[in-house]
Amino acid sequence: MATSEAMDMTAAEVAPDSKTRRYDRQLRLWAASGQSALENSRLLVISASATSTSVLKNLVLPGIGHFTILDPATVTPRDAGNNFFLEGQSSIGKSRAEEAVRLLAELNEGVEGKADTSSLEQILDNNPGYFASFTLVIAHNLESKLLERLSTLLWADDTLPILVAVNSAGFLGEFHIQFHEHTIVDSHSETAPSLRIDKAFPALADYAASLDFKNMDPTDHTHVPYVIILVRALADWKATHDGKSPQTTAEKKQFKEGVLAMKIKIDEENFDEAEAQAYRCWTETRVPSEITALFQDPQLSNLSPTSPPFFHLLDALRKFTLQPPHTLPLTSTLPDMKANTASYIHLQKLYKTRAEEEKATFKSVLAVPIDDATVDTFVKNAHGLKVLRGKRYGSLNTNPAALASAVASSPKATAIHLAISALAAVSSPQPTVEALTAAAQALLPPGSELPEEFSDAVGEVFVLIILTCLSARSPNADLPNSAAFLGGLVAQEVIKMITKQYVPIDGYCVVDLVETWTGMV
Amino acid sequence: MAAADWQDRYYDIDQILDTPGPRTDPAFLAGDGVKDFLRNQAKILVIGAGGLGCEILANLALTGFKDIHVIDMDTIDISNLNRQFLFRQKDVGQPKATVAAEFIMKRVPGCKVTPYFGKIQDKDDDYYMQFNLVICGLDSVEARRWMSATLVNLVDPENPESLKPLIDGGTEGFKGQARVILPTITSCYECSLDMLNKQTVFPICTIANTPRLPEHCIEWASVLEWPRVHGDKPKDTDDPEHIGWLYTVAAARAKEFNIEGVTWALTQGVVKNIIPAIASTNAIIAASCCNEAFKIATSSAAYLNNYFMLIGTDGVYSYTFEHEKRDDCPVCGGEALDLSISAELTVEEFIDLLIERQDIQIKKPSLSTPTAQIYFQSPPQLEEATRPNLKKKVKELVPQDGEVTVTSTSLPFSLSLRISYT
Repeated sequence: MATSEAMDMTAAEVAPDSKTRRYDRQLRLWAASGQSALENSRLLVISASATSTSVLKNLVLPGIGHFTILDPATVTPRDAGNNFFLEGQSSIGKSRAEEAVRLLAELNEGVEGKADTSSLEQILDNNPGYFASFTLVIAHNLESKLLERLSTLLWADDTLPILVAVNSAGFLGEFHIQFHEHTIVDSHSETAPSLRIDKAFPALADYAASLDFKNMDPTDHTHVPYVIILVRALADWKATHDGKSPQTTAEKKQFKEGVLAMKIKIDEENFDEAEAQAYRCWTETRVPSEITALFQDPQLSNLSPTSPPFFHLLDALRKFTLQPPHTLPLTSTLPDMKANTASYIHLQKLYKTRAEEEKATFKSVLAVPIDDATVDTFVKNAHGLKVLRGKRYGSLNTNPAALASAVASSPKATAIHLAISALAAVSSPQPTVEALTAAAQALLPPGSELPEEFSDAVGEVFVLIILTCLSARSPNADLPNSAAFLGGLVAQEVIKMITKQYVPIDGYCVVDLVETWTGMV
Repeated sequence: MAAADWQDRYYDIDQILDTPGPRTDPAFLAGDGVKDFLRNQAKILVIGAGGLGCEILANLALTGFKDIHVIDMDTIDISNLNRQFLFRQKDVGQPKATVAAEFIMKRVPGCKVTPYFGKIQDKDDDYYMQFNLVICGLDSVEARRWMSATLVNLVDPENPESLKPLIDGGTEGFKGQARVILPTITSCYECSLDMLNKQTVFPICTIANTPRLPEHCIEWASVLEWPRVHGDKPKDTDDPEHIGWLYTVAAARAKEFNIEGVTWALTQGVVKNIIPAIASTNAIIAASCCNEAFKIATSSAAYLNNYFMLIGTDGVYSYTFEHEKRDDCPVCGGEALDLSISAELTVEEFIDLLIERQDIQIKKPSLSTPTAQIYFQSPPQLEEATRPNLKKKVKELVPQDGEVTVTSTSLPFSLSLRISYT
C-alpha cells in the first residue's frame, strides 16, 4: 500500500492559504480566473441609498478591487432607519457616502473604498473624463434627466464603463445593463459536449474494432466502457446497412436489442448503460446552431490584429469546423461510466490524445499568437460560447412598436416596466394616477393603431392596478426587503459581467415583491 | 413611540403600513395597530445564523421586528466570511448565533435579538409556541424536515395561535428557493422531498476496486482508509490536518491508478459535501423570506403562494408556483403511503429501499407492524433481538395490504406504509 509513500508529500505544501480559504465557496463557482477579474474591477456607485449599499455589500464581500460611492447628500433620519450600512441616529447629519464607505469597507480588508461627495451633475458638466477609470457604474433611482445624460455619455464610446441602472418603488423594481458587446467563453453551459460516438476518431474506432468481445475474459467483458461498446456496435451495424446508422424506430429498437444481446451475463451493467446511451449513435454530432450563428458575427468580417482575442479564437473555430469531421474540437472530459480502472483510463487517454491533436490543428488556423492557457479554455468551452450585444439604456422606451410587442408577449412584466418608466417621466413629487397613466400611454404607439387586446390588457388591467399601487403608496419608498432583493439580483449580474462567466440578462429585469416573481422585458 | 425610534425612522415602511395597495387583503387595518403589532408584539424565530441567517436578521431588524430569536449550533469559520457579513476575522471560532445577535443589536438600536447556541432539537413545543412566525435559513435537509414536522404537529385545530407560518429559504451557487408553509393548510417541507436533487453516492465496490474519478480516490481515503488506519478516532472535516491526511492518501491512490485531478479543494469538497455559496444569492432568497414574513405579519399585501424558485446562471429566471399538498405525506397528509414491493424482498433490502427512495429518504429506519417489531436500530438489546429478521422476507412478517410503521431518531414523526406484493 502506498500510504507511507503518500505521507512523504507534505500536505502543508498544498494546503490553501487564508485568502483561498476565505473565498473557497465562491471559487467553486468562478475559479481563480473569475476571482482575479473581480479583484481587478473598479466600481462607481451613484448614491448611497439602501438599495445601493445592498448591491455593494454583495460585491465587497466576494472581493472587487475598488469602489467609489458618489453622493453629496447627508444622512437623513429616514436613511438611518432603512439602510444597514449607516449607524442609526449617530450617522444622521454626516456624509452619506462617507458613512456607507466606512461601514462597507469593514466587510473585506482586501477591498478599497472611497467616498466622493461631489454631485453627479457637476461632474457631468465639468469632468466627463471622471468615469473612464471605472469598469462599471451602478446608479439607483437616479433622476431621469441625469440618468439620460449619464447613459448617453457612457454609450458614446465602447471603452467607457458598463452602466447598470436600477429603479425601485415600494414592492416593485427593475434594472437594466447597458453594454455594447459582451463575450463569454465559460458560460457554465449545462449541456455536455459530444462524445462523438457517431463520428469516432481513428484511434477510438481502431480500438473498438480490435476487441474480441466473443473470446474476451468474462471479467474484462463486464468492464468495457459503454462508449467502446457503442462505437463497435455502430461500426458493425453500418457494415451491414450501407454505411448508415439506424434510421427508423424499428431499426433503432433492433440496434438496442443487438447491444443487449452482446451480454454474456444478465447483470452486465455496462451493456445496460450502452443501451440507455444508444441514441448517441443516431444523433449526429454537428456544430451547434448557436455556435454557427456566431460565425456570422460582424466582428469576424472585420478582423484586424487589434481585434479582441475572442474574435480571433472564434474565427479559428470557424476555420476548424470547415474541415472534416465538421465538429467542434474534441474535449477530453469524459463522464463517469461502468468500467474498471484500466479500461476507463485507457479510454480517457484516447480522448486526451485526440483532443491535443485537434487543439494543435485549431492553433494552426489561429491567425494571431494567443497564450496556451487562453486557447485551452476556449477550446474546452467551445460548445457554450456566447456573444451578447446590449442596448442603450432607455432605447426601449423610445420604440413604441417594441414596447407594444413586449406588452403582447409579457404583459405582467411590461406593465411594471411602464409604471416605473412613467414614474420617472412625471416630475411632480406626488404624481396622480391620471398623470402616470398618461405618461405610460405616451410611450406606446398612438391608441388608434393599437389592437384591442393591447389597450384592454395594459390600459385597463395591468397598468392601472400597478399605477394605483404606486401612486397611492409613495412612489419612492426604498423598503429594506426590496433593497436587499434587488441588491442580490444586481450583484449577481455585475459578477457575471465582470468575470465574463455565466450569462447576464438581456433587457430589463423586473421584480414584483407582492406576488414574488421576476420577469424580463 | 419607543425611545430608540427617532422621527422618520420607519418613513419608507410606514408608506406601506399607512395605506392599503390594490392587491392588499381587505382585512388589512392600516395605521397604528399594525405598526404596534410589528414593532411591539410580534415575536419571530430565525433558524440558522449562517449565509441566509445573517441576511435574514438584518432585514427583519430594519423592517421593524424588535423581538427576534435565533438558533444556530455552529461556530464561525474563515470560509464563512465571503458572505456571512455580520462576522469578521476576529470572530472566527465564536458561536454564530451570539456574534450575529450582538452585531444586529449594535447596528439597529432598539432591536432585541436573543441567541441560542445549540440545536433546534433541544427545544420543546412550549418554546416554539411563543413565536408568531418561523424563518428557516438552513443548509441541512434533516433540520428542515424536523422543523417543518414539529410545526405541523404543533397545530391544534381548537387554537388558531398554534398555527405558525414557516418560511423556508435555501441556496446553491446562483440558484435558490423561498417558500411559505402554513402547517396543515399548505404543502409542508416533507410534501416536496422528491424535489431535492439526488445526492451522488459512489458504490462501495467502485471505491474499493475500480476507481475511475478523483472523487473515487477521495471517498476511498475517507470511507475505507480512515477507519482502517485510525480505528475509532472520529474524522473531523473541519480539521485541516485531517483533510491533509485524506488528501495525501487520496493523491497516492490516484497516482497508483493513473487518475488525475485529486486536489486539496476537491478533497475538502467531497468529504464535507461543500455547496458553493455567495452573498448575492443569499441576499435574494433571504430578502424574499423576510418580505413574506413582513407581509404575513402586517397583512399589508398578498403573500407568496407558495414557492419561488430562482435560477441565476443564465439570465435571471424565476418560477413562482403553488406546490401542492400530498395526501400521502407522512407529516401532514394523514394517509398511509402505498408501497408495492417484490414478494422476495428481504427486510434488509427493504430498509435499503427506504433509504434510497426519493420521497422517503430515511436514514437508519426502525420498522414495526401494529402487532410486532420487525427491526429496531436501537437500543442495542432490541437491535440484537430483532436482527435475525433482517434476513427474512418482508412477506413472512407483513401480510398483503398490511401496515408498516417506520420511525427514525432523526425525525419527529413516523411514516405509515401499506405494503402490497408483486
